Amino acid sequence: MKLRMPEMPPANLLAALGSYNLLPAIVFLPTRRRCDEAASEAALSRRGASDDRREARRDFMRSFVEQHPEIRDHRHWDTIVRGGIASHHAGHMPAWKLVIEKMMSAGLLDAIFATATVAAGVDFPARTVVITVADRRSNRGWESLTASELQQMTGRAGRRGKDKVGFVIAAPGLHQNPQRIAELLSTPPDDLESQFRATYTSLLNLLDAFGGFAQVRDIAERSFAFRNVLPRIHHLEKQRAQNVDRIRERLHRAGIDLPVESVLALERLASARSRLLEGTPQTRREMRQQWLNKVVQPGRVVAIGRSGKRLALVVARTLDGVTALREDGRHASFPLQRVGRVFAPKFSTRPEKAEEAFDEIHDRGDQLALPEPRLRDAQAGEEDSIRMINDAIEALAPSGLSGTERDGVVRALWSLQSEAASIEKANREIERLRSEIWEPFECCARVLDHFGYLDFANEKVTERGKWLADLRVDRPLLIGEALQRNLFASLDTTRAAALIAALAADEDRDYGELELDDAIVSLLVQFEEISFEVSTEEWKQGIEAVPEINFSAAAAAAHWAGGVDWPELVRETRAEEGDLVRLLSRTGEALLQIAGLRGTHVQAADLAARTAEIILREPIR
Amino acid sequence: MRRSPENHRERKPFRKRRRHDGQERPDKHRPREQPARVASTGSYGRELRDLLSGIGAPKPAPFRPDPFQLEALAALEFEDVLVTAPTGSGKTWIAREEIRRLLAAGKRTWYTTPLKALTNSKYQEFGDEFGAEHVGILTGDRKDNSDAPLIVGTTEIYRNQLFDALRGGEDVRVDLVIFDEAHYLGDEDRGHVWEEAIILTPPRIRMLLLSATIGNADELAKWIEELRGVRCGVVTRPGARPVPLRSAFLMPDKRLVPLLGEKGKLNREIAALIEQGEESRRSRRDSYRRR
Repeated sequence: MKLRMPEMPPANLLAALGSYNLLPAIVFLPTRRRCDEAASEAALSRRGASDDRREARRDFMRSFVEQHPEIRDHRHWDTIVRGGIASHHAGHMPAWKLVIEKMMSAGLLDAIFATATVAAGVDFPARTVVITVADRRSNRGWESLTASELQQMTGRAGRRGKDKVGFVIAAPGLHQNPQRIAELLSTPPDDLESQFRATYTSLLNLLDAFGGFAQVRDIAERSFAFRNVLPRIHHLEKQRAQNVDRIRERLHRAGIDLPVESVLALERLASARSRLLEGTPQTRREMRQQWLNKVVQPGRVVAIGRSGKRLALVVARTLDGVTALREDGRHASFPLQRVGRVFAPKFSTRPEKAEEAFDEIHDRGDQLALPEPRLRDAQAGEEDSIRMINDAIEALAPSGLSGTERDGVVRALWSLQSEAASIEKANREIERLRSEIWEPFECCARVLDHFGYLDFANEKVTERGKWLADLRVDRPLLIGEALQRNLFASLDTTRAAALIAALAADEDRDYGELELDDAIVSLLVQFEEISFEVSTEEWKQGIEAVPEINFSAAAAAAHWAGGVDWPELVRETRAEEGDLVRLLSRTGEALLQIAGLRGTHVQAADLAARTAEIILREPIR
Repeated sequence: MRRSPENHRERKPFRKRRRHDGQERPDKHRPREQPARVASTGSYGRELRDLLSGIGAPKPAPFRPDPFQLEALAALEFEDVLVTAPTGSGKTWIAREEIRRLLAAGKRTWYTTPLKALTNSKYQEFGDEFGAEHVGILTGDRKDNSDAPLIVGTTEIYRNQLFDALRGGEDVRVDLVIFDEAHYLGDEDRGHVWEEAIILTPPRIRMLLLSATIGNADELAKWIEELRGVRCGVVTRPGARPVPLRSAFLMPDKRLVPLLGEKGKLNREIAALIEQGEESRRSRRDSYRRR
């Protein structure tokens, strides 16, 4: 049950923790903004209080700034130095996070407000960890914390060598859920689940290294993911073997000299026949019922009984029944099979309009009646196929038997059908399980084949595919196609940065609304066409569509490549520093990958190298 | 009503009364008070005293490796090892000692991490420990001293080196690979890279995986064992946490109560608080409907 209680003001929260001697603390809050606000708020109320560590903090910061000048004018400088409080989340730049971690370790801070996504391995333990939400934000919206995530947070409570006890404290909050926190604390950690999947990079590299699909498939089937389906496959295989034994034994006991395959063949033929028959009405009555069910609809006039003279306007239908208005103006209900003829036009079901409807049917009824299907038509198509199947079933019994012997054999074969059906079902299931891991690789292979990076028929990586295999970026095919179509030929460093940033960015993150010049827009439009073409091909193969191109990221990167300084970039984009650093760093990495293609794309590689150098300037690395 | 930390120091009378009747249970009709800042836990009720007892720093003691750390080190001489233990419980110590052993023997180690920030800090740490000339770094945008006997880098770069070696028909020049934060194998976006790296690492290379606590450590080790044909031992820190953990709930009136009550169930006082909130929401809804 959610608590839905207001969050305690951060200053009060810290005061309470302080009164119990529970500081320093890490307080987890739901959003980056809340962390920043809480830190400023809490710090403000502590400025007056005496704190002998203030000087130590100032000195610490000053010496840190010598190596990392980018944090010199940080807006939270005072919060930390005077208040001893910090905010720590992915929106801050790496150097800022680093100084906070170091100050916390040095015992200079009283509290850190952080988001639940504080990355693994970042080491700043505290005496106390405060949980204010039982949910966390994920790619799919708000989700409940998992046991492992909570453990990741509580893992920071209690400093080795500095604390004898660590504390996890649940505090009131709108999305707080003390019950769930209590349960999660005693839940064993989650299982690690495989995320193995097919990617262009792995497929191209493995195929080039091992030389055939069978070998790549073998590698894929050594994955942890495949190991988890193996027990199910083994179980099915065992079941299948038992059924084969049972059939063989019963054939033997009945003295029938036929292989198990005959029984399986009969099962396949029989089920093919029943699939055909299912779709075909067997009797005239059945066929009529199917037809009436389809055509008797409210608004249509029908004739009751075979005579065809008593008309009624259908006003409602049930599963097997009809409610209709008779010509005498009274309602009547009758079973569907009493309907004789059905007339095509649809009329209003309002009683005052009924007379018009009946008049029309009386006038032109013969032309308007719907033709009733004939059984022969419905069956004609299937009859031949069924006759062939029947012949094949007949042929399964050994030739040269007398009539009664023959009947005995056929009966015995039929009696083994449920075992045979289980075997067939197991075969299908095993095939499905086995292909689950491999099939996506085959889909990737077809897309790569379409664009000429892989020769599907010969199971080979083409010359073009070899350099694509070297391009280890998130979406290699898009960059590959851009290179292939000479998109880089006419670019300068600013535009190259824009292009690669548009691709490297998180799809839905906003990096501000800087203006893009026409040259860059037309470049991105060209690129979008490539992206559309690639996505369409992927869609045909059932591969999830690639995320869209991020124009605002392109603008920010172009600006940075154009030579603005960091504070100006931050000011103009109004994006968070941490996001900008991540974007530009990823852009730089992708450019370095392209720069590695010197052997095949001299010009583009050279441009990428020059662009990377510009992008990866302080404070990006 | 909010009170600043300054003015609640004056509320001593309540503290006395509370100690007098020894009550911890809140009285619905009495306005709740805040605990005062105190030097010791002597004035709290028993429940709270128990909760807070022992806060503070332990006596300084010389470092002695835990048995699980020694066990992992011993096992690594012959087999692959998966260590699962929470953050801060000394997994890195195992890695560091093993690296020391290998460096002395003239052997090479690849230390992979999932994050650039972590890579940088390990690079620094190992450089201080073993001398900068023995450590190299490889990330997507940084390449320093890449021929050093100890390489720190992201798992992606290590996997890429495996790809290159396989395609070139060469051998990777490594004797030990360490996967820090190995539970990243379960990461939705990047987990596949860990799996590829584990599958493609030649069996002659020893493997040390350092992971947060996971539910299926044995299963994971079994997989690695079948895959590589080398035994993969699981070493877990007994008693899980290096520092014991206690849980509590901070009531809106700033009183601290244990999160759990009898038999590990939610403390009844917290349950009553939730129920009270539900009740008032319900009655508000009802009165709205009646209108």
